[in-house]
Amino acid sequence: MTGPTDPIFELRNIAKRFGATQALEDVSIALHAGEVHALLGENGAGKSTLIKIMTGIHRPDRGQIRLAGRDIVIGSAAEAQRHGIAAIYQEPLLFPDLNVAENIFISHQDRGLLTGWGQMFRRADSILAALGVELDVRSPARGLTLAAQQSVEIAKAISLNVRVLIMDEPTASLSAHEVAQLFKLVRDLRDRGVAILFVSHRLEEVFEIADKVTVFRDGRLISTRPRAEATPQRAIADMVGREMGLLQPRPGAKRGERILAVRGLGRGGVFQGVEFDIHRGEVLGFAGLVGAGRTDVGLALFGIEPATEGSIAVDGEEVSLRSPRQAMARGIAYLSEDRRQLGLSLPMSIAANITLPVLARYLNRLGLIRAEMERATAETYRKRLAIRASSVEVLVAKLSGGNQQKVMLSKWLNTHPRLLILDEPTRGIDVGAKAEVHAMIRELAEEGIAILLISSDLPEVLAMSDRVLVMREGRQVAILDRDSADQETVMTAAMGQEAAAHAPAEAPA
Amino acid sequence: MKWLQRHVRPEQVRELSLLLLLVVAVVFFGSLIDGYYTSRTFNRIASSVIIIMVAAVGQTLVVLTRNIDLSVGSLIGCAAYVTGHELGLHPGMHPLVAVLIAMALGAAAGVINGALVTLGRVPSIIVTLGTLAIYRGILVDYSGAKTITTDTLPAWLLNLPQATLATIGNLDLREMVVLALAIVALFQFATTRMNFGRLFYAIGSNPDAAHLVGLPTRRIVFAAFVLSGALAGLAGFMTLARFGTITVDNGRGVELQVVAAVVVGGVNIFGGSGTVVGAMLGAVMIGTLEQSLFRLQINEFWRDALMGLLILLAVASDAVILSRMRALWARTELKLIAKPAPAPASGGAQR
Repeated sequence: MTGPTDPIFELRNIAKRFGATQALEDVSIALHAGEVHALLGENGAGKSTLIKIMTGIHRPDRGQIRLAGRDIVIGSAAEAQRHGIAAIYQEPLLFPDLNVAENIFISHQDRGLLTGWGQMFRRADSILAALGVELDVRSPARGLTLAAQQSVEIAKAISLNVRVLIMDEPTASLSAHEVAQLFKLVRDLRDRGVAILFVSHRLEEVFEIADKVTVFRDGRLISTRPRAEATPQRAIADMVGREMGLLQPRPGAKRGERILAVRGLGRGGVFQGVEFDIHRGEVLGFAGLVGAGRTDVGLALFGIEPATEGSIAVDGEEVSLRSPRQAMARGIAYLSEDRRQLGLSLPMSIAANITLPVLARYLNRLGLIRAEMERATAETYRKRLAIRASSVEVLVAKLSGGNQQKVMLSKWLNTHPRLLILDEPTRGIDVGAKAEVHAMIRELAEEGIAILLISSDLPEVLAMSDRVLVMREGRQVAILDRDSADQETVMTAAMGQEAAAHAPAEAPA
Repeated sequence: MKWLQRHVRPEQVRELSLLLLLVVAVVFFGSLIDGYYTSRTFNRIASSVIIIMVAAVGQTLVVLTRNIDLSVGSLIGCAAYVTGHELGLHPGMHPLVAVLIAMALGAAAGVINGALVTLGRVPSIIVTLGTLAIYRGILVDYSGAKTITTDTLPAWLLNLPQATLATIGNLDLREMVVLALAIVALFQFATTRMNFGRLFYAIGSNPDAAHLVGLPTRRIVFAAFVLSGALAGLAGFMTLARFGTITVDNGRGVELQVVAAVVVGGVNIFGGSGTVVGAMLGAVMIGTLEQSLFRLQINEFWRDALMGLLILLAVASDAVILSRMRALWARTELKLIAKPAPAPASGGAQR
């Protein structure tokens, strides 16, 4: 403890469970007035759950919440606000049709009966002026830049006299200049005595602004250190942990001929400068934080969100991939991370889902579906991937997450791809199913399919891949060979600490 | 121009453009129809428009919250019939009691709609499509398919449509018209000057944010349906006064006119923007078109088709005008608020 005072906001022994996942386990954290407390952790470490508990969106299963020395219960977002606890998210929660001033004051619960427009405009003006932000308080929030929207959110927090402000990755979509402005506001708030919880993936920012650094991993609090004792290296070590888990590394593959060559690939403002080759039987891992642009590369290769710059060559021939249909014609398949929205038709049967992309193969001369043939194909995959269902006529909605994942894999394997893009193939499925998906990846690579594995599960990427491509903020920052890739090197590159990285292999030009 | 742009927003000028369109329409029809500019035309349009107008005020509240109330057609029919029936049984009833019966009936139906939408979490278009049919079905059963006729109704009610508050030149200001305008004024005030009213906009503008910042989302949506029901009840009372003869089919299809008035009036069907005054102008626009096309003796079927076409035109031109103006405003705003040029590109502190 550094502060001379008692904490203003304290969570003790908080636990929260969602179904089979223990999102938080015995977490205790204390926020002090006039202090910026940074919270670090990999994706899924439990940061979001903690924020939602603090803001009354979730209730903890166990544990105490104390505000200014008194036990409190936060039953709803409105209650959190009444206690002086507010949150600012990566995507600000503004009302586009309301003007700036009204956005600042809309959630004041003591606004009274009448809307005092004149007074509201004046107060909004003076709050923004004090922040050094120039905005027309009468203009609607629609069309404000993200940075301006965040200024509005901060003005809102000030107008509410918040005691605790939670900032959930507020800098994720800001430019360097905007980040500097935001930090000025954050320091200003801190000097007014607000306790700030600052969640970010960008280590350099955390070490610039934080007074204390707490690291979460797998729903547990690993460490809390004052700024003076914390270093980026220690924070990364705490985040990734030491143990590799139970993953068996895949034996290295013998590279076959080159299937895909990507040069200078980019899509306006989303990602840029991505270059790699991928060969028959090779697994290329894509590592990086959420929002680093990995999925966008996948979507570009599959023609869903076509690239706007750079080139893609399949078998040495340059191609333009502007739709999934064109990508499939080139032997590319994409297993979406979003099973429910993009991947599967939940109200349809397993068999219907598996044959959907290549339905033309299953039509007879009259254009009707040959149900027998469809069922036979589905049956083959059900056996091969051990999909647990009583028959292939079962509706996909009735299957577990792991089995849905296998259906999706079957569907794409049935297109006989040469390049398979797997986007978070094991997210949200249980350990057993995970192991089966891993076995499948090994088998497919051995058959000669090139696999592009996008995953936020770092041990998984490291165990399965022949090479690991690391992305950060839309750019490719490293391609590491399996010998030089370990958790810390990859995390260091992914979080923008390449000065500390020992092996920044072939970086892009 | 700059001063104007700082103090007037495109959204506020929207009503003006609708008013302009209305003037164009009146001039157009005036040139085609002899004796168009008379008090008779005005009174006829006014008395037909107020029913749609009152219901459209309620509908506006619902649409602002990103919902829709399709049951108003049946509610108008039910309120008109039940109130007429009660007046037949108790001819000595105080006029205010009759109005209250109509509005309470509507509000009660609104409670059912609102509860199904907010508590049952059923999309409002489905809920109100269902209750549209159910309320009509209950009416048919309740009435035994009998018709309310003028001879059972008290004289004050039958004279109400002609009751005049004041006469300005040739124009009679009818009491019912004044009542409708008062309701428009009341709700325009409530939605622009009362914090309760502003919540309708907030919720429709970004429902997720409304929930996360702790606004009483459900209560407001519920209130919108109850108010829409109550105002439809009042519209039902007006229908009873205007026609005196009420069959079980009364008000059928009116819900579409009400929704059309709201949309033509510039209320965004996806919630969050639009005004009560806009909806009023939308109702006037539709009433004017309908009466004028009738005066032109255009065949009923063509009249509907033309109405549809004109509605589409009105909405399309409104959308074009609004987006043009937004673009213009945004461009000058950039000049007004000159910001320091941002540092090199996005992407944080990189090499």
